[in-house]
Amino acid sequence: MEATREIYWNIGHGVVLPMYLLVTAAVGLLVWGIWKRLDHWRQGKPLNRFDRFDERAKRMIAEVFGQERVFRVREGGIFHAIFFWAFLTLFIGTLLVMVQADFMAPVLKANILQGRFYEGFSLVLDLAGLAALLMLAGLFVRRFIIQPAGLEITDDDYRVHALLFAILISGFLIEGARMAATEMVTNRSLALFSPVGMLVAMTMANVSADGLLLMHKVLWWLHFALVLGFIAALPYTKLKHILLVSANAFFAPLEEKGAITTINMEDEEAEQFGTATAADLTWKDRFDADACISCKRCQDRCPAHATDKPLSPMKLIKQIGEAAAAGQETSLVEAIGEDAIWSCTTCRACQDICPANNEHVNKILEVRRNLTLMEGAFPGDEVRTAIGNLEVNGNPFGMAFAARADWAEGLEVARVNEGEEADILYFVGCYASFDKRNREVARNFVTICNAAGIRVGILGKDEKCCGEPARKLGNDYLYQMLAQENIETIKATGVTKIVTTCPHCFNTLSRDYRDLGLAIETEHYSTYLNRLIRDGRLALDKAEAQECTYHDSCYLGRYKDIVDEPRAVLNAAGWRVREMDKSGYDSFCCSAGGGRILAEEKLGSRINVARVRQAEATGAPVLVSNCPFCLTMFEDGIKTGGCEETLKVRDLAEIIVERIGGGA
Amino acid sequence: MKILVCIKQVPDMESRFKPSGDGLWFDETDLAWRMNEYDEYAVEQAVQLKEQLGNEPELTVLSIGPDRVVEAVKKALAMGADKAVHVQDTVVHQKDPWQIASIIASYARDKGFDLIFTGMQSQDRGSAQVGVLVAELLSIACATTLVGFSYSDGVVNVKRELEGGLKGLVSLQLPALVTCQLGLNVPRYPTLPNIMKAKKKEIEAIPVANLLGEQAIAPTVEFYPPARKGGGVVLEGDVADLAQKLVAILKEKTTVVR
Repeated sequence: MEATREIYWNIGHGVVLPMYLLVTAAVGLLVWGIWKRLDHWRQGKPLNRFDRFDERAKRMIAEVFGQERVFRVREGGIFHAIFFWAFLTLFIGTLLVMVQADFMAPVLKANILQGRFYEGFSLVLDLAGLAALLMLAGLFVRRFIIQPAGLEITDDDYRVHALLFAILISGFLIEGARMAATEMVTNRSLALFSPVGMLVAMTMANVSADGLLLMHKVLWWLHFALVLGFIAALPYTKLKHILLVSANAFFAPLEEKGAITTINMEDEEAEQFGTATAADLTWKDRFDADACISCKRCQDRCPAHATDKPLSPMKLIKQIGEAAAAGQETSLVEAIGEDAIWSCTTCRACQDICPANNEHVNKILEVRRNLTLMEGAFPGDEVRTAIGNLEVNGNPFGMAFAARADWAEGLEVARVNEGEEADILYFVGCYASFDKRNREVARNFVTICNAAGIRVGILGKDEKCCGEPARKLGNDYLYQMLAQENIETIKATGVTKIVTTCPHCFNTLSRDYRDLGLAIETEHYSTYLNRLIRDGRLALDKAEAQECTYHDSCYLGRYKDIVDEPRAVLNAAGWRVREMDKSGYDSFCCSAGGGRILAEEKLGSRINVARVRQAEATGAPVLVSNCPFCLTMFEDGIKTGGCEETLKVRDLAEIIVERIGGGA
Repeated sequence: MKILVCIKQVPDMESRFKPSGDGLWFDETDLAWRMNEYDEYAVEQAVQLKEQLGNEPELTVLSIGPDRVVEAVKKALAMGADKAVHVQDTVVHQKDPWQIASIIASYARDKGFDLIFTGMQSQDRGSAQVGVLVAELLSIACATTLVGFSYSDGVVNVKRELEGGLKGLVSLQLPALVTCQLGLNVPRYPTLPNIMKAKKKEIEAIPVANLLGEQAIAPTVEFYPPARKGGGVVLEGDVADLAQKLVAILKEKTTVVR
């Protein structure tokens, strides 16, 4: 017997018109809900997120249908991804039925849902239904029974779970009733292609034929009503994430990670800098708040939140939404809290993991811009002093600018600021120039380069702070003053390649300075050394195998995707890396990003101590970092955390300099 | 009300100082410059008073020196001063406090300033004379080393820092001059809109020759770094040995142990 089924069996074709009318009404409610919300978003300031349409569309398709971002966190993510694919399969199946019933059959007089295809169709949909049901059960257990810490449970969650369960279960019951009355009697071999439906049908074996017909009809209408409810409820419940998170995969920035708008200092009309009130928010800031699905992944990863500071990236996104809803006059600093605003280390862990592509970091930076540029505020008096020092001496320590190159005394370096020639310009940065411990790193880096036959140039006393800490604290004015002086100095030397030992300088010179006109290739020494080793220019002696753990600096890993190269350099030097739980893109900040290097950590517990303990837990005796801020923070964290007996922190350059001379 | 604030641009004290060729002052190579710390308190207090009086007072800031001092002047304008006077003098460091005070007094004499703010002293020369000399030359009331300031109905009430942690309260009738000390206030960080506005504010340039008619009465004779003292000695070893070594050194080099 032919494998197919009669669509609208027991319901009758007379249902088609009312069915479409009802669906139209449900879709109408959906559109109405979105339409009403459009108004709220549109009150935000303009921002172009419709450019490069193809790129955006491609990313959206990949992220939504591939469930890439959801999947990255296995806990919960696996259930969600499989549920999504299963539900999508059911949706496509329903569309196929629609096409067949209301187009193929009446217009083309053809039936695609028959034979082998129908058998496959039945099996796939049946299993998809089962998968969806199991995943939903998993999600249910996770949310309502296990209740992971920090996960909020609202009435919305109960309603949506109930609705989805009801749709899936009623679907199987209809199938069972239909099969009990048809396939189970007339075509049992076809029934095997709907195993779940068959099981349900078997439980209905004792129901009379009329009973089955009645039950089927009632269940069909119930199922249909539930689906209508699903469509209509989309914009009014947490189900809206299906639309908004997908849209955000389209709207997410296409700029390089970490890009910040450079304020036009020539604009004499400008009266407001940064975000003061809800009126200064962009439409995307408002949209992000709606797109947040409260998965709390950001909060789980936030180093400030983990150490009891008053910042949760998730709450921040919501607070911005609430401020926007409360009216254009609402103060953002009041809505979020100044301590929360200053607590951020801009480590980007929140934004990196957000399945909704929300942009946490720049929202914080914009509020900081208002605090700094409009109110002259600082997170503490020590920061006020450091900023003053940056203005006067070009370094946060307040050391004489003329002493900037003292670290290089006795080393083979070219003073490119005085016209000498070099292969690379080493942009040293403030810490490697003035901080005792980090000056050793600078000296080691030069020694390594010399061993590889590279002539290193420096800007000497003409180098100034790259401006990064000031910029991340919101002071774009000071940042631009420092940047412009550096750019002028660098351009005048004619160098064609810049290497930094500081990830913050590296990010700033390679990305932020582009906006101000510097276009010279800039690299962090991790990748630079890796290439020297790979190309055979730098020979290393790896005789003595040693173990360490490696800390991914936020501004290398998450911001610049440099994860493998530093490890390759360590391996080339004969060091084995024992990974911490939080490494690579999931690395845990040292506490010094976002200008926090200039500030005392007065709230909650110490981030650097938390990180040092994570390193200690690997059992490796050495923690390797390749950032002056991280090195400084870990030196401190090892002392205050009492890990001096078990752990030492060393810079990558210190490790490598010991292994120079592979041929020896 | 008309307010005058006198400010000086000084080298950052972390800079490396070398005597200049003539041996009378320091060489300016490799120095970083900033507004004299005490003058920042003066500017801040003047701006606070202006704000207290609903922005009615006109606040003028004055600085003497070469073109570089305009940077300090701009900062004062960005903090809230209305206009500025730059007394152009490329050899200001050769003037003694009497001459500096005379320059300021001859500028201020016919301008009708009700209140003049200066720093307690400059960070580089540190004579602490200019403020009081200006007051004397203008025959107006004067209070020095302010750590507290209030104003109402034409009367200035100030708290002065005295020796040994003592404080003194003084009331002055306008016109008056006050010199400001650390602890008076926290100077504000100029906001970006105010920095922008400051760029358009008037800076009147006056050649120093137009204002100076006095000879120096306390000229500098020599400028030199302090003699290098011997370096410290760090003793190492166990405690018993250390005590012995220390006693030996004390006996040999001092009269403490006989």
